[in-house]
Amino acid sequence: MTNNQQPSSSVLYRRGVAIVIRVLLIVATMIGVVLYLASNFWAMALIILMPLLLLFHREHGDIAALWQRSILPFLRTITIPAIGFTTAFIVGAIIMIITGDNPLLAYGALFYGGFVKNWSISLLNAVPLIFTGLAICFAFRAGLFNIGAEGQYYVGAMVTAALGIYLDIPGFLAIPLLFIIGGLLAASYNIIPTLLKVKTGAHEVITTMMLAHVARLLSPLMIRNFGGHISSPHPLVTYEISERLWLPLFSSFLPNAYYRLHTGILIAIGVALCTHYVINHTKIGFEIRAVGYNRRAARAQGISVGKIYAVALLGSGLLAGLSGVVEVLGLNHKLFENINAGYGWNGISVALLAGNNPIAIIFTAILWGALDAGGQYMQRNVQTPNSIVEIIKGIVLFLLVAKYLYTFVFQKIRRKQS
Amino acid sequence: MSELFDLNLVVAMVRLSTPITLAAIGAVICERSGIVNIAMEGIMIIGAFFAATIAYYTGNPWIGMLGGIVFGMLFSLIHAVATVTLHLDHVVSGAVLNILAFGMTRYLMVQFFGHPGTSEPIPTSLGAYRFAVPLLSDIPIIGPVLFNQTPIVYLSFLIIIFFWFVTRRTKVGLHIRASGEHPLALETIGVSVVRIRYISILTSGFTCGLAGAFLSIENNTTFTEGMTNGRGFIALAANISGGWTIPGAFIGSLFFGFADALQLRIQSLGFEAVPEELFIILPYVATIIAVAGLVRHSRAPKTLGADFRIEQSSD
Repeated sequence: MTNNQQPSSSVLYRRGVAIVIRVLLIVATMIGVVLYLASNFWAMALIILMPLLLLFHREHGDIAALWQRSILPFLRTITIPAIGFTTAFIVGAIIMIITGDNPLLAYGALFYGGFVKNWSISLLNAVPLIFTGLAICFAFRAGLFNIGAEGQYYVGAMVTAALGIYLDIPGFLAIPLLFIIGGLLAASYNIIPTLLKVKTGAHEVITTMMLAHVARLLSPLMIRNFGGHISSPHPLVTYEISERLWLPLFSSFLPNAYYRLHTGILIAIGVALCTHYVINHTKIGFEIRAVGYNRRAARAQGISVGKIYAVALLGSGLLAGLSGVVEVLGLNHKLFENINAGYGWNGISVALLAGNNPIAIIFTAILWGALDAGGQYMQRNVQTPNSIVEIIKGIVLFLLVAKYLYTFVFQKIRRKQS
Repeated sequence: MSELFDLNLVVAMVRLSTPITLAAIGAVICERSGIVNIAMEGIMIIGAFFAATIAYYTGNPWIGMLGGIVFGMLFSLIHAVATVTLHLDHVVSGAVLNILAFGMTRYLMVQFFGHPGTSEPIPTSLGAYRFAVPLLSDIPIIGPVLFNQTPIVYLSFLIIIFFWFVTRRTKVGLHIRASGEHPLALETIGVSVVRIRYISILTSGFTCGLAGAFLSIENNTTFTEGMTNGRGFIALAANISGGWTIPGAFIGSLFFGFADALQLRIQSLGFEAVPEELFIILPYVATIIAVAGLVRHSRAPKTLGADFRIEQSSD
């Protein structure tokens, strides 16, 4: 018997080298990510350079092929976002000139603050945004709009703050437990909108929004009962949760890291990957997408639309609730009134900006977080009010979701030419 | 019980339901033409801000009111362009505009008043122009409730009657309803669906701007960030529970106004045993109950929330 199917040793050797190179490059990327998370800004170069090298290697060093097959399509997909951002920043600059601020100084401070100086704060801001963005995205995929993610966020935060004060068991047991309990209770906060949606057809936008107001307005009641009494030294703040339950800080194993940066960002990225898997690679995810694309076709296929609505809304509530849990366990360690209100709203922006793609949400959330952190740096250092960032964010969002705008402009130009 | 329910409660109900009524009328017109408008919350806050700012700088609340209306309409124009011309999903556009509106008012607050939070009080509010209609205000019960009010409350009565008449008795009203039920049929008889929908959205901008002006310069003398407190969404609920009709929306709004008035009254009486938060949430809970209980008996406009492109209409 001839053994001609067996590859020669030189081919094997080359394959082995290829695998080793890939593994090395992937490891280098991961190291870059960890270093970046742990306060080494220039590790970002590793994160960008390593995947490029990996692609370069895959194309056997053929730069033309690399350009054609990888870089050009990528540039094409980011053209419209780039146009949107540029336009929004120009509009922002015009507003600043009218109101008497120097846009160059302001933008310099915004980017320096958001991406270089205070980017640990950017990451810190991104953690809850990733969760709320995923929550919006998860419901959106089924064609539902969980506009009241803010409410579920509050429920998650309240539950964690309340239980965290009294729970006295080791952290490795308590933290997962709190994530589960907080998430489930936040999900159950969506039971009423779900039932109404399925049974009576009441629009989830109104019901979840109203419940969000209810949760926000009830939070002082909860705070008073867990330490925030008028007579206590810190009214309107609950007792701090026990220190064993705090999420580990990056600074505990990477001495350079910003002292408040907690490992919640890793959990957030993990949950984003899980959500991506659930939506794109499971049966329930397929059914969610089917209902979102065409409800009637899905029903004709034998998918129970009511069941999928329930899964989507409750799952969305769960994700939004985790946002509150991670914020209390990682950052604040207590609950105060109006605890960073606005994560629900910003979650909508983050999800829309990412085109409801769970992986893209990680990046848009970091971007949004960076704009917030940069805005505060800008306000402190060049005295431009940081709410200009809110306007820029609003305009960016509008220009990016109104995709037809570009078709419209393009058609107008073409008509004029002919 | 007698100190809880008296004539003043009914007066407060009418007064507190005014912004919701105005926005709900805008919602009825808008949704009847086929456009979902969840941007009303944002339009209201824009109206409230500009009404207060203009009233503060000119010293004249009437100009402030006009300013609120004009800027409300300008802001609603963005929703019109986005949903009608650019075919953007109505709910997405509305959500984005809400975010934009809250960001804008926060920024402009700092620009015009130098600090975030609450603005400086305006010199005279429209509430100072409260007047009793002669003769009519002498009627028992109805008199003090309906005919001893402030200007925008009276204006809201006129607007209710006007738009009720428009939707039921005029050609434009028929076109608005047709635009939500069967836009292609309307287009076939030579009426522009695009124009009807623009007019409808601008109408909701008008009423929501006025509602915002009511909040900041009639019911109050200052603008506070986020002072609309979900009233835009409550108005949407009033419109739905009122079965997409003007009188229904008015009654729905009165119901929410009642919940609000009751909540304030109970708070001022101060029950020690029950925390006040349980009463503050009353209007929001009422909204959920109303949407849950009443939505079954009414039918939404057929093409509500659907995009209209004449070249893609198949039926």
